Amino acid sequence: MTNVLATAIIVVALLAAAFSGITALRDRPMGWGDIAGAGAVEALLAVQLAVGSVKLAHGEGPAHPATFVGYLVAILLIPPAGVLWGLLERSRWGPTVIVVAGLAVAVMIVRMNQLWSGSA
Amino acid sequence: MPESSETERAGEPAGARGGATGGGPGRLLVAVYGIFALAATARAGVQIATKFADAPLAYTLSAIAALIYILATVALARGGRTSRRVAVAACSVELAGVLIVGTYSLLDPGAFPEPTVWSGYGAGYGCVPLVLPVIGLWWLRRTARREVRAAGGAARV
Repeated sequence: MTNVLATAIIVVALLAAAFSGITALRDRPMGWGDIAGAGAVEALLAVQLAVGSVKLAHGEGPAHPATFVGYLVAILLIPPAGVLWGLLERSRWGPTVIVVAGLAVAVMIVRMNQLWSGSA
Repeated sequence: MPESSETERAGEPAGARGGATGGGPGRLLVAVYGIFALAATARAGVQIATKFADAPLAYTLSAIAALIYILATVALARGGRTSRRVAVAACSVELAGVLIVGTYSLLDPGAFPEPTVWSGYGAGYGCVPLVLPVIGLWWLRRTARREVRAAGGAARV
């Protein structure tokens, strides 16, 4: 879609995953840092939704955008769901949810780029 | 927030509580199941909405896979006796599904013009769909044993 935004999301998602991975390794439950990491990812995903919608409206992107739109919207659910689910666990296993969420977002962005450029 | 972890340390570790399939390491398992439930549902939704007539078998299977992932996610997250049974059933069907669809998709690639979650044993998803039900069933067994032990201990007191 836009390489800068996609790269930024992947980097921030992986950083959030790494941060929460360290929280888990330190045997801590989820704290504000983990929530902030997921929040930063979510903010960038919201920007992506806006940019993607505008570009699609101008006729850019894949010829059959249904799958791309599915990703564009579904990916927004992951960080908040991860934060809620992780907060319910007051042990080291809470932040591992953010690790999964961050990795999933990074993989989905790679897939979205393939869909956008039509290379898959 | 770190202070609330003390209640955890004072009592039993998370996941040791009866029926806590969604606690402790189960929290991570449910998260992965949740991602797959979302991915499979979105994929099946798009396939059925836009091109169901192209490959009704593959897309119906996609929808069934999505349903099973949702069931497994919710059942594992809830815990308790009924949910545990539902989770065992869902994970078993999931394992059978990934093995059958995986084998079938390799033998007759024409039947799956577009890959489903389970084709090629979930190779498109890093084979996680193959490993996930095995871990799920193992986790259900493990937490069930703990539950029996906890119940036995309570009965003796």
